Amino acid sequence: METVLQVEGLTKVYHSLLTPVGVKAVDGLNLSIRQGETYSMVGPNGSGKTTTLKIILGLIFPTDGKTTIFGKDISDLSVRERIGFLPEDAYLYDVFNGEDLLDFYAGLFGYGKQARKARVEELLTLVGMQANRKVPFRECSKGMRQRLALAQALVNDPELLILDEPTSGLDPAGRHQMTQLILELKRRGKTILLCSHFLAEVEEVCDRVGILYRGKLVGEGTLRELAGEPTEIVISVSGMRSGATKQLAALPTVVDVGDGEVRLGKATGDQLWAVLQALREAGGEIQEVTKPRPSLQDVFVRAIGEVKE
Amino acid sequence: MTPQIGKLILFVGAMLVAGILVMTRKAWMGALAHGWPSVWRIAKMTVAEARRKRVLQAVVVLVVLIIASLNIVSYLSPVEQARMVKDSGLMSITLFGMLLSIFVGAFMIPHEIESRTIYPILAKPVRRYEFLLGKYLGALIILGVIVAILTVVLVGVLLLQAHVIGVPQAGQPDSKFDAAIPAVIFAAVMSYCALAVLTALIMLISAVSSTTMTVIGAILLWGVGSMQSMLYDLSTKMVGASRFVLWLFYHAVPPLQDFDFRTNVANGIPIDAGAAVQALGAGLLYIIVALLFASLFFENRQV
Amino acid sequence: MRRSRLPWKIAALFALGVYLIGLPIQEAIINRRPEQYRVNAPGSGINLAAISGPTPVLIAALGGFRTVAADLLWLKVDNLWDGGAWYLIPPVMESVVQLDPHFILGWQVYGWHLAYNLNAESVLQTDRRAWLEDGIAVLKRGVALNPKSFEMTFEYAWTLFDRAHDLYRAADAFYYASQQQDAKAYCARMYYRPFEHLLDFDRLWPAMKWAQKQFPDDIPHQKLVARDMDWWRQNWNNKAEHRKQIANENTARQQRAVPFWLYPNDPYWNVCPLCGLPTEKGKPVCENCFAWNFELKQPVRPAQAVR
Repeated sequence: METVLQVEGLTKVYHSLLTPVGVKAVDGLNLSIRQGETYSMVGPNGSGKTTTLKIILGLIFPTDGKTTIFGKDISDLSVRERIGFLPEDAYLYDVFNGEDLLDFYAGLFGYGKQARKARVEELLTLVGMQANRKVPFRECSKGMRQRLALAQALVNDPELLILDEPTSGLDPAGRHQMTQLILELKRRGKTILLCSHFLAEVEEVCDRVGILYRGKLVGEGTLRELAGEPTEIVISVSGMRSGATKQLAALPTVVDVGDGEVRLGKATGDQLWAVLQALREAGGEIQEVTKPRPSLQDVFVRAIGEVKE
Repeated sequence: MTPQIGKLILFVGAMLVAGILVMTRKAWMGALAHGWPSVWRIAKMTVAEARRKRVLQAVVVLVVLIIASLNIVSYLSPVEQARMVKDSGLMSITLFGMLLSIFVGAFMIPHEIESRTIYPILAKPVRRYEFLLGKYLGALIILGVIVAILTVVLVGVLLLQAHVIGVPQAGQPDSKFDAAIPAVIFAAVMSYCALAVLTALIMLISAVSSTTMTVIGAILLWGVGSMQSMLYDLSTKMVGASRFVLWLFYHAVPPLQDFDFRTNVANGIPIDAGAAVQALGAGLLYIIVALLFASLFFENRQV
Repeated sequence: MRRSRLPWKIAALFALGVYLIGLPIQEAIINRRPEQYRVNAPGSGINLAAISGPTPVLIAALGGFRTVAADLLWLKVDNLWDGGAWYLIPPVMESVVQLDPHFILGWQVYGWHLAYNLNAESVLQTDRRAWLEDGIAVLKRGVALNPKSFEMTFEYAWTLFDRAHDLYRAADAFYYASQQQDAKAYCARMYYRPFEHLLDFDRLWPAMKWAQKQFPDDIPHQKLVARDMDWWRQNWNNKAEHRKQIANENTARQQRAVPFWLYPNDPYWNVCPLCGLPTEKGKPVCENCFAWNFELKQPVRPAQAVR
């Protein structure tokens, strides 16, 4: 599969009068995104996600390193005809309505009048804004603004979509809508680079995740790769006799006995069977036995914790 | 400067400019050909945005009322009345035009960067210089429309007063109300050309600084440009190296007073068309250099 | 990441080329627009530091709106006039003409106020002479700064004729005024009136013939000149009758003005107001200052002293 976005050794140092030494916002970042992939960059505030996006888009210039999109530099206009960008917090001209905004952005790609009209209609339908097409941007709700911003990013039917915090500031319903839109775009074969704080949505949407911390990539891979093999077994149980907790806790491999839940560390089949027997003898009814993988949140916290150490 | 030296300097300058234009013709011809559609779209969007700004509409209405109120001063003789109305009207157009050009220019690029509305545009196949030129063209259109409206109002006031005052009485030169409409329109057009030069300089400052610094820089530039004749007088009163340095500096300041024909209109002094054409030529060159450097600065600016 | 410096170098060279082109163009504009750039020329007598006025006036002046500042002060003059504060008017008028030296009406009213109103108000002969002299000096400055303005030069000539009764200089001044663009027919006739008053018959007839050649299409003017020529033809030898008529008119003038016989050969009247050196007869500004300020932009004779 073709590599759509390639970042090699990207470094960005911000200098100012007050910080002559400079603040390293991005430090030797290497990134590669293949065609059709949905890649997410996650990280705490100030980790360099937005800086990286801005360098990729040519809005700011790197101190060192190289970025290519479709094998070319961003300064090549043919590259920008194949990408779409949704900025954080939807910065669009607030005196215009949705229809006029999309018409303007479509015009920047050289579409003729009829083609623009058709495209605008299509996009308003896609993002569910046909009824509110004449509402000025400043009077739109946060959800409507995000949807319009996504529509402007899609105006040229791009192959690569760059989304910066697409669900930021949205209520749960709005976040769900946006997530569904992104999934739809993924189904259509778009390559998506996503920056987000909402790890649950990242888990839902992304193929690969890169964890950024202080400008460095501290973890990268698929969710399965990042999470690793499950290390715990969780048994959900109800109706246990009180007083049986101590006995259960003494059993080998039992890590924790909680209210309705027993956690085991790495256990063989026999050890598991022994625990289940003990639970039955203690009067408990087994509800569920699972081997959960760590969530992205856990992975994230672990990765950053390791770096801090 | 003797005429011979002047011609030599003109020749050297023209050769240098022509040589550079020829050497770089592919670059600038290609840039103009490719960039024009984007420049025009951005200009249209800038005008449409300004049209919807209520603050701007309110200020234009206020200035129209100020010019229309010049009708009220009626205790002077018709000669004095004509002078006052023409002078005050042209001053209102120039002053308001200057303020408008400062705020429109200062709020273009820095405001777009600060509010980040520039991000979606620069992510599209639009070059930075196309964005800058589009904004400049939009500003020129806005200024042109507003100056035209104010000029029409001023001409209306003058015609109304001329009609009310009537035919001058024989033997009483004070009774003639000289509206001098063509001269007034000419002076307003030249004021607009000065605003075009000022706006280009404001774009240059705005390409490298914030909104506040652009406003301050623009006001200073306008002040220096308006005192062109005073700088010239100062240079004639000095001697030696300091005179030469001031003379060189004087020729670098924005040639805003070259476009000022208000004294001619107020005092009925004939207008030298040749001087106006020369001023337009010099102003156009100034605009090109200002926009060229603005583009270069903007290309290297981190947004 | 290093970005190329070549565009900057090319742009700098281009800017240098444009600057060089701009140098002679700007000089040409300065020469073509003396009303804009020569207002404060050395020796013009305009000194912006001498301007006094309320704050809005000064702000307008500094903002490049000198004519508007002059208008604001002109309104103040109007108020002073209505209030009867005649002696407060001259300083304000001085500021008006400093701010807008091409404001002809301003110079006219300024000179008229000194030479007529304040002159008439005064009781002592010395005071009356001083006000008249000041008024004429003001008008002379106005002519020096607006040498091609018919209204300005006519006002100067008329004041010499009507108020100072300096008839020969008045005749020269009327002749000079008649040479300007937009000169009126009555000015051509005024050229010979002083000679009528002086009974200088050697100059009168050629002057009338000259006036007849001016404005050939102006029928009223031609009729008036023809009438005067006929009268003189008939009364050429009837000098007694004419003397009586002129004497009556002179008496009326003498009652209003300082008698001209008190200062017939005063050298003050022959001095250029810009450089302080003698002028040629009939010229309000010396040739050198005229050339430097308004015509050739360089001296026609070696540099002269500046006042």
